Amino acid sequence: MNLWNRLMCTCRRRSPWLFHMNSGSCNGCDIELVASLTPRYDAEQLGVRLEGSPRHADILCITGPVTRNAVGAIQTVYGQVCGPKAVVAIGSCPATTNVFIDSRTLDGPLNKHIPVDVFVPGCPPRPDAIIQGVAKAAQILAERGNNPPIADAAPQVVGSGATECACNECKEVQP
Amino acid sequence: MNLITALARLLIFPGLLFAVPAAWFFLWVERKAVALMQGRIGPPFMQPFYDFIKLLGKTTPLREGIGGLLMKAWPLLAVSSAAGAVALLPVLPSSGGFEGDLILLLALLEVPSMCIIAAGFSSRSIFGEIGSAREAVLSVSYNVVFLLAIVSIAASQHTFRLEALAQLPASPLRWLGVLAILVCLPAKLHLNPFSLPNAEQEIYSGPMVEYAGPELAMWELSHGLEWVAATGLVATLAAPHVTLWWIAAPIFVALSFAIVLLLSILASATARLAIDTTVRFYWQCTLIFAVLAISSVLFMRLRS
Amino acid sequence: MNILIMLLKNLWGGSRTLLFPARPKVTERFRGLVQFDPTRCTGCAICKFRCTSRAIDFKGGKGEFTWSYDPGQCTFCGRCVEGCKDHALSQESACPPVYTTIGELKKSYTLARKPPAPRPAPAAPIAAKAAVNATAAAPATNPASGGTQ
Repeated sequence: MNLWNRLMCTCRRRSPWLFHMNSGSCNGCDIELVASLTPRYDAEQLGVRLEGSPRHADILCITGPVTRNAVGAIQTVYGQVCGPKAVVAIGSCPATTNVFIDSRTLDGPLNKHIPVDVFVPGCPPRPDAIIQGVAKAAQILAERGNNPPIADAAPQVVGSGATECACNECKEVQP
Repeated sequence: MNLITALARLLIFPGLLFAVPAAWFFLWVERKAVALMQGRIGPPFMQPFYDFIKLLGKTTPLREGIGGLLMKAWPLLAVSSAAGAVALLPVLPSSGGFEGDLILLLALLEVPSMCIIAAGFSSRSIFGEIGSAREAVLSVSYNVVFLLAIVSIAASQHTFRLEALAQLPASPLRWLGVLAILVCLPAKLHLNPFSLPNAEQEIYSGPMVEYAGPELAMWELSHGLEWVAATGLVATLAAPHVTLWWIAAPIFVALSFAIVLLLSILASATARLAIDTTVRFYWQCTLIFAVLAISSVLFMRLRS
Repeated sequence: MNILIMLLKNLWGGSRTLLFPARPKVTERFRGLVQFDPTRCTGCAICKFRCTSRAIDFKGGKGEFTWSYDPGQCTFCGRCVEGCKDHALSQESACPPVYTTIGELKKSYTLARKPPAPRPAPAAPIAAKAAVNATAAAPATNPASGGTQ
């Protein structure tokens, strides 16, 4: 079945279907994401299609620092995406909550809840950077094969010092 | 026709083996034409093939009970009937396709739409129900015009056989009928301006919302086969009568290609119309011409 | 009709798409990753104070200090670059790269504090003249002399 596996890898790399989800973003990154489908950048040359249903998609593109209201929705939608799947965090908000650090309405960076494969930094990132991120995620998807993402069972806890906060208010409110 | 010939025509040419690559080719032509007209470069040539294989490799959610079985059955039914419709097309004029007449072709062309409607309802999702309801309303609207136009063309020749209809003499009635069918094609193939059932952002892909993996691959394939069958039907009715098969077959292919380009121009030039405007368009504007066509045919038959 | 003319012009004139992986040029005023010049930094930590998203971290000590920067946290506003009086910070004119692990792009530098620059010795004649002028000016501003008409 080696030929079939190689064919499947090629097809997964060349046909990434996206589903876009906004978890409280300011919409800057969302605008740049749909700008990558415009004639100048044309994500469709890579086979990218923006799908209407999470069941149709392979790659989940998430923008926005994860607000508390959005956590349940993100976990539901991540469960609805059929495997094999990859997640791209667009902008610096889902990676590290950016300027909204210490906010009481947020629930941590995105990889506290779901495993993230590619981070596209920028505020907002340029559309060509987003396309690079999606292409890298398609490559990861092709190489991953049928294995689930590494931390699918237990969510990863961020260990870097970016979310440490020493003020008293956060010690009371955050879990 | 013996069994071997029938199976060969159904499975090899112009059946499944020819129809599936033709479906992928037509899907690519439509995407590429729309992209070029929008100033982009579109997907590469093998893109529908890559999409199909990738979808075959995805997992599907578990659905238990009879609902799960039904959801698996609808895309298979859609693909097989659309492939049968393509197998009926008279690509080579003398031998024709799989033997059958116009009524069978129309019935097989209708089944995928019925399957979409049923699939939306059996997915038990509210978006599926809205999409299916829209598809049902659209189907009722354009089918009246479509069937009246085809019946008027067939009645004027006193036959329903496809080979006879492929060799029609030129007449204004025939062009009127072909024009009416062309107007119904965007609604049948879910193209702008009548692409309401699978409104992506409004209702999360409508009837297809719960489908994933190999089932979705079958839906995409049935969509491509519908393209081939519908454009082939119009090409059959519009093509001039040529006896030599090695001129007639390329003419057939070229006409289908031209129709695909025409529909792509329409799809990229227009936006999606709402359901009330669509229904009003078909029932108020185009129904007049179809009624004119059928009444003139009946009048001519009464006189003769 | 205009739309049809536009579509046919597009079909005829070719696309204006950048073929992947070509990317458009960035201008030189583009605000990309913050770059640190260790030779110029004096450890004042104004950049950490001005940073809007806590991307710059500064840990100071007696003899040395550590400056670290996480581009994943950065919002590329440029306040640190504006506020640095030693011009040790600048922003590169290039798109930040895509990464796959949290903290992959983090950078940190540990520098020894520079000894303070020695003060110049005060010049004596100028100081004495200034003192004389100050005492001469004081009686002139006596309110009693202003009382005579």
